[in-house]
Amino acid sequence: MTWLPGLPDGKTDWDRLTALCPEATSALSDVVAAAWRDTDPALLELARLRIAKLLGHTAELARPGMHVGDVAPSAAKLADLEVWPTSPLFSARERACLTLVEQFVVDANGVTDTQVADVTEHLGATGCCAFVEAVSVLETFQRACLTLGVEEVPR
Amino acid sequence: MKPRIPLDPDAVNQWGLADTAGMAPSIAAARQQLRRVAFRMRTVDPATTELVRIRNARYQNCFF
Repeated sequence: MTWLPGLPDGKTDWDRLTALCPEATSALSDVVAAAWRDTDPALLELARLRIAKLLGHTAELARPGMHVGDVAPSAAKLADLEVWPTSPLFSARERACLTLVEQFVVDANGVTDTQVADVTEHLGATGCCAFVEAVSVLETFQRACLTLGVEEVPR
Repeated sequence: MKPRIPLDPDAVNQWGLADTAGMAPSIAAARQQLRRVAFRMRTVDPATTELVRIRNARYQNCFF
């Protein structure tokens, strides 16, 4: 439950925020939705859950994939996500992306040339750029929700 | 800083910096709209906005 005082009534915290500033929350939702359009949703789903784990965002971890549809990672892969470095279920492409995601979340300034080159090898330059942008969007959104104490967001 | 991915030398913004909007067009358009909305709200004064921007850039060692 958000700690923000004086919000209008609503079913969820997000609804109450939306009632307060509808244009801003709509624009923010659009940015998140755009992230899923510009990159591989299966890869981004792994990134979303890994970011949530690193940030301790339990509500996000419990939320089912919003935009992945038929390409959702298998239950076995999701169960192994915490141990992806040693799990045999992850491809080289997924490993390159998860390595970059973890470094990005922990310390973006510490991202190395090699980490970017590994992702570029699998996704191409445009794909790498779009993936980093999408990860940035999801990470920022999750941090904002954690900061504001907003647990439920639109699907 | 040298770009880590190959960029189109013709894709530059009004300041002459690399413009990657074409590589993630949906995100770029949505972010632009969010910036417009945030600007119209005018709930945070420009001086505070600039202080936050500079503080964050320093924290991230982002000096360009």
